[in-house]
Amino acid sequence: MVLYKHYGILVIVSLMWMSGCSSPFVENNMIEEIAPVVFWSVDKGAEGKLKISTLVPPLIQEEKRLLSNEVDLLKQGGKEFNLIYYRELKQGQLRMLLINEELAKEGGIEKLINTILVDPDISMRVYLLVVRGDFDEYIKNQLTKQENQDYFLYRMLEHYEEHNQGEMSIVNIHQFMKRLYSPLKDPILPVFHSDKNNFNYVGTAFFQKDKEVMVIQDVDDEIFQLLDNDHFLKILAIPKLSISLGRIRSNVRMKLSRDYSSLSLHVRLTGRIEEYHGENNIQKEEQLEQLIHEIEVHLEEQTSDLLKRMQQWKVDPLEVGTYSLKPFSKEITDEQWMEYWENMKINVDYDIKLYPLINVERLL
Amino acid sequence: MKSLYNRTSTFNGIYFLLLINRTQMHYYVLIMPVYLVHSYMIWGIVVMGLLSQLNVMLLSKWFTSSYAAKGYQGFLQLFGKRMVQVFAIFGLLIILLKISILSLGYVEMLHSFIYPSMDKKWLILVILLISLFVASHGMEKTLRFVVIAFLCGAWILIVFIPFFFPPIANYRDLYPLIPTEWSGQSWQGLLFIWSAYSGSVYLAFMVPWLSSNKKITKYLVIGNMLTIIEYLLLFIATILFYGSSFLSKINFPVVYMGSYIETNALDRIDYILISFHMFNYVFDISILLLCFYGAIRVIMSKMNERTTRIGLLSSWFVILISIILMNQWLWQSVPGQKMLLNIQIWLGAFIYLLVPTILFIAVKRKESI
Repeated sequence: MVLYKHYGILVIVSLMWMSGCSSPFVENNMIEEIAPVVFWSVDKGAEGKLKISTLVPPLIQEEKRLLSNEVDLLKQGGKEFNLIYYRELKQGQLRMLLINEELAKEGGIEKLINTILVDPDISMRVYLLVVRGDFDEYIKNQLTKQENQDYFLYRMLEHYEEHNQGEMSIVNIHQFMKRLYSPLKDPILPVFHSDKNNFNYVGTAFFQKDKEVMVIQDVDDEIFQLLDNDHFLKILAIPKLSISLGRIRSNVRMKLSRDYSSLSLHVRLTGRIEEYHGENNIQKEEQLEQLIHEIEVHLEEQTSDLLKRMQQWKVDPLEVGTYSLKPFSKEITDEQWMEYWENMKINVDYDIKLYPLINVERLL
Repeated sequence: MKSLYNRTSTFNGIYFLLLINRTQMHYYVLIMPVYLVHSYMIWGIVVMGLLSQLNVMLLSKWFTSSYAAKGYQGFLQLFGKRMVQVFAIFGLLIILLKISILSLGYVEMLHSFIYPSMDKKWLILVILLISLFVASHGMEKTLRFVVIAFLCGAWILIVFIPFFFPPIANYRDLYPLIPTEWSGQSWQGLLFIWSAYSGSVYLAFMVPWLSSNKKITKYLVIGNMLTIIEYLLLFIATILFYGSSFLSKINFPVVYMGSYIETNALDRIDYILISFHMFNYVFDISILLLCFYGAIRVIMSKMNERTTRIGLLSSWFVILISIILMNQWLWQSVPGQKMLLNIQIWLGAFIYLLVPTILFIAVKRKESI
């Protein structure tokens, strides 16, 4: 028994010998010597090249600067930055990938995103954003005004992702790729607008495979959050009826007809009236009912219009196609579904339950 | 020096449960979803698991038979010395292949996730050294190591619970639940599942420690049940997370899923999961290492002599060299890797089918004479 203890020593000695005479550990992750990258911003460069840029160093008290480079391949970019910057850039902490809208409209971002997805060093929770305008210009301008802008941007996305509270569509790499590779689903991405001074959320972009085909904003985007993405909205403002609804939860039921010729969409909303500037006296029960009915009609029109545009553009980001899947029959293909989807009659029905924050006269 | 194969006490039922369960959970489980892909393979796992249940019952008959209680002598009485030696030669090759695939598979995972720039040979060496360390404590202690392997491996399932709930999971991804078309690949999937269950067959040769007169069928059946549940949970979680068409594009789906779970305090949970998986692999490899040495002793008819340190070390060395060569010649190329995996799948399936049946029939025949 005593003799066998030597095997333990053998293990330790060989480990020491291993790390001593030939170094199998090539990676050097000394925190003082590296610069972890927080985001890559990818834009179209000249002659089919990619223009990628990032901010270095993130989170260290040192003067920041924007590095950018025109390259053919994403990883090549990472390598070339090392040659022009004194710290080694590491991608393990990558949190955001910003893709310029021009590039997204062209299609072919699948390869780009896949590069990040399959890299075991990089988390699959990297956020994907489509940027309209020049992001580099914005971040360069912010360098002096606000430090760590890139990190705060990441924190903002994380904040809204956490509880799906319906302000923005937040999408990470895994979600995008799952929708891209699965039949009957089309990917979505958030679109942000950026110029010299501002960086703001615009709406949601719908993709056909990896090509951006349409962007919805404002009310359309809010309806989209209610129908599929979050099923919750903190505020839904309807200026046309001078009313703001708050804390809205939605309950969506979709029913496809057997031959896929029509879809009935039933949405139940519950929430409260937070603001009202209109003429009706919502303390009166009748007039409140009247107002709610008007809201229902308005939303039904808006939703039908939105769905019609989706059909025109041949996208199905609501994953309506998955409702055709049944436990005991063969699934239909993507192409078949698109044919049905284009010509589908859609029947939208809203059922809204609202309570005002003031007293309603309930007594006779 | 005390013998590696000494026996001081008997194992109780719960050990049988853990042994069956742990020998069935290894490399295959981690790559299984890629081979099965379609959600209807859920039924494949269930059906094969129930068939494996029958096999496990046959095994329990063997454990309680009077021949098993005699250990090596029992085998001699059943088959004769020549025959046992022939079996041992086959066994030697099968064990060698299995150890190689297990370590190569685990090392590949380590290599691609944690140490991408390290030479794989170091990783192979390290994992084999650890197994040697465990094995050098003797069969009995190694078998008892199963408790640690179980405690370190079973909790991982808890981590996968979030994948069963929205927004990650969408249960319509599981449809259709029945096979709408059946191809050669589906048959291979079934074979793969059967082969994955086959790990427990090695327990048949550890009878000197495991044979007992107690009622152990119950424990064996529960152990196998646990495995079925673990397979199902992992497979359904991967389908829910990826969906069938995305799943077939990922090489280590389960590990990538580990990295998707992030908390504010811990970023890379996959590293922790991979490390904990190591206990299971070390347990498997060290058990097989002892079997390997045992088989050599049977072949060289040295069963009555004492075990030597040189003996164990040289069998370890043979394994190390053959793994490194296999890695060099076969594993690094796709056709080679495919061939090795296929051979292992077929062999595993065959021995799982044959060994319990042969043992059962042999015992029945001897008893009737």
